[in-house]
Amino acid sequence: MRRLIVTGAALLIAAAVAACGSSSPSGSSASGSSASGTLTMDDETGSEWNCSFNPFNPNDIGNGVAFGQVYEPLAFVNSLEDAKATPWLATSWAWSDGNKTLTFTIRKGVKFSDGTPMSAADVAFTFNMLKKYPALDLNSVWSVLSSVTQKGDDVVFDFKSQAVPYFYYIADQTAIVPEHIWSKIANPVTYGDSNPVGTGAYVVNPCTPQNITYTPNKYYWQPGEPKIAKVLFPAFTSNDTANTYLTTGQAQWGSQFIPNIGSLYSDKSPDNHYWFPPIANVSLIPNLTVPGLNDVAVRQAMAYAINRPQVANIGEYGEENGGNQTGVVTPTFSSWVDTAAAAKYGNDYAYDPAKAKQILQADGYTMGSDGIFAKDGKQLSFTVINIGGYSDWVADMSVIQSELKAVGIAITPQNLAQNDDVSDLLTGTFQLAFYDQTGGPTPEYELRQWLFSGNTAPIGKDATTNYERYSNPATDKLFAEYGQTTSSATQHQIVDELQQVMLSQVPFIPITEESDWFQYNTSSITGWPSQSDPYALPAIYQYPDMGQVLLHLAPKG
Amino acid sequence: MRYVLRRAGFFLVTLWAAVTLNFFLPRMMPGNPAVAMMAKFHGRINGQALTALETLFGVNTKESLLAQYVGYLHDLVTGNWGISLTFFPTPVSEVIRTGIFWTLGLVGVTTILAFILGTWIGAISAWRRGRLIDSIAPPLLVITSAIPYFWVGMMFILIFGLKLQWFPWSGGTNIADTPAWNLSYIGDVLDHAVLPSVALLITTVGGWTLTMRNNMVTTLAEDYVRMARAKGLKSSRIMLDYAARNAILPNLTGFAMSLGFVVGGAILIEYVFNYPGVGYMLLQAVQNEDYPLMQALFLLITVAVLVAILLADIATAIFDPRTRSAR
Repeated sequence: MRRLIVTGAALLIAAAVAACGSSSPSGSSASGSSASGTLTMDDETGSEWNCSFNPFNPNDIGNGVAFGQVYEPLAFVNSLEDAKATPWLATSWAWSDGNKTLTFTIRKGVKFSDGTPMSAADVAFTFNMLKKYPALDLNSVWSVLSSVTQKGDDVVFDFKSQAVPYFYYIADQTAIVPEHIWSKIANPVTYGDSNPVGTGAYVVNPCTPQNITYTPNKYYWQPGEPKIAKVLFPAFTSNDTANTYLTTGQAQWGSQFIPNIGSLYSDKSPDNHYWFPPIANVSLIPNLTVPGLNDVAVRQAMAYAINRPQVANIGEYGEENGGNQTGVVTPTFSSWVDTAAAAKYGNDYAYDPAKAKQILQADGYTMGSDGIFAKDGKQLSFTVINIGGYSDWVADMSVIQSELKAVGIAITPQNLAQNDDVSDLLTGTFQLAFYDQTGGPTPEYELRQWLFSGNTAPIGKDATTNYERYSNPATDKLFAEYGQTTSSATQHQIVDELQQVMLSQVPFIPITEESDWFQYNTSSITGWPSQSDPYALPAIYQYPDMGQVLLHLAPKG
Repeated sequence: MRYVLRRAGFFLVTLWAAVTLNFFLPRMMPGNPAVAMMAKFHGRINGQALTALETLFGVNTKESLLAQYVGYLHDLVTGNWGISLTFFPTPVSEVIRTGIFWTLGLVGVTTILAFILGTWIGAISAWRRGRLIDSIAPPLLVITSAIPYFWVGMMFILIFGLKLQWFPWSGGTNIADTPAWNLSYIGDVLDHAVLPSVALLITTVGGWTLTMRNNMVTTLAEDYVRMARAKGLKSSRIMLDYAARNAILPNLTGFAMSLGFVVGGAILIEYVFNYPGVGYMLLQAVQNEDYPLMQALFLLITVAVLVAILLADIATAIFDPRTRSAR
């Protein structure tokens, strides 16, 4: 789903669907789907399918069409269960040489969907292909690797220096492709891979611009899997159509943002459910090179002045949680939160406008006649860039604007086109911005994306993830230490220290928690992930997690 | 003949200007395709991917603008339109091929139908001025043509799609269909075309009706029409051969232009009905800074409109001898 363009039209149609729900027989439109063990997925991707399944092409994996169901990883790392790693195409792995070498033992008896056996050679080939073609290396694994070699049934990864968190990118985020096919491709970067051959439970059969049909891979290595005979993935170009498809029961698995989900979806049938596990923060990002915003007192005052749950309730229809200043997303990573540290900062910067004003006054700011604080003739007045097409983010920003106004800080939202916004964000051409990251299986991943100085760039150059231009050798040292350890206790200790950085320096201000959008219908299919059984991230666009979900699903009865 | 040559020369100069604009305009947009891809998949693709994407799309090429322009002209002439960035790595020609027939079928047929129907109603209304049809059809069509067609589309989805369930309201075919030349597939395509096509039809037919009626009314006051009546010609002959033939001329150019614009699709209709045409594709191309796809689509539209105008000019010359001898 793209969260944007929740037009009045969408609401109108969705409301009407809800209103006439009882008069339209619910079974008629979904005819033939459930009984034959068919699952229909529903996620607006904005364009027709081009029937390309290259698992190293951001378009293809970003839409969730290739990685998980067709191609598989070495291991599955569950972001919702404390980065628990399940052996997948690798049966085991071990760190050695002071965590500078990672050895995977590759599973025997796995076949690709053309019947050819998969071996360690395929794994080594896949990673060496990423080295040869940097355009394929989406997670920059070769920024830390020095070599990948096959040794019998093992594949040995040698690192330039310790980078333990890259286990996630290597084992979970990289799809293994068959050497006997990909080695013959002249340029894998522009390879369309229209007839993908992977080790996954499903094969594409067939793909049209309007719909992808997946059917079981008869060579699949797990006996008795998959249990759903047919998976349909229609292409939706508009949110309205995708939402209507879901609310009328024509699709069983959704990853849509549905405003007022209660009345429009879950109240309509006892079989309709939803679950939105949070995965990363949507944050207010101060450009730390801008005068005023480079003052930690101003940033602390802002953190106190914003009522985060209120923003989530109004802007996000209560479908997302308010964020934490620790930067740790809860409840997903609750066990990581340093509650003692958070308590020291006004109970994790709980909403306190009086305290915000007090901090500014103590820092030498005085309120002008226009109700805006100023120091040395410089007013606390900033512009904030936002994506105008994301109606929820625009609503969030208007709540934030009025809350900051109340403590004497003026912000002027600039609602830009998506590309202009991101372009300005990357080059640092902004004062304040509103944006999010991908995160990862522990809180360290998101914090590293925001705070590691290697992810930033001078103003005018594209920064990969550290848009606020935060740079602190002490913090970088924490990330280096985290990269060296496999000990959970040490990791927790380092993340605690990172949270103290977040609390004391307020390099950015988490506002709401980005949810993984997930709607599901239990009338014909069981085995869905849920809060009590969070075996994988539940959204269709989460790779390779969606492949895990497909393997857990089964026709009912 | 000189007239046709003059028009053809004009055609070539306009084409060159359009092609050149088509090259420079997209490049003045902020951002680049890699940034656009990051924006599209934010939260799904790791920020580290930016480096890979810039390599992938050749964003930081040092090639001069002039060299790019020459390369662009060469590729245009040789039909090598490059690889679409939105639908990477599918070639642009392939991407357009998947959409163009849907658009030509839906928007093209509807445009022709609207023109024929509108012109016919306009001619009859003018001929029977003040009678029943004239007092009902034109006012009604003024109203329908004033309604935005995406709104009509949404109302159709609500009423005929969701509530009455008479017609499908999403996509070009049933999603489980495989394209084939058989009755059930063709029937399915037609079934899916009903709602978008009717929505488009009832909102566009009014324009043709009104201009035709007004032209016709003016023409009916001409001396040669009175002369024809005086000669005692059959009224159907006066209406068609004397009045309508002259009244239709201004409409013809308009019709040619709208035929040209068919290639651009009907963005809102395609969006509302999830229809797989090129109009929505164009929007996608612009949003994703997909220069190759954008250029190819704009080029197609420009050429189609220019060719249509050229043909309309020639047609006008045939219908109306005065345009030939003048100048």
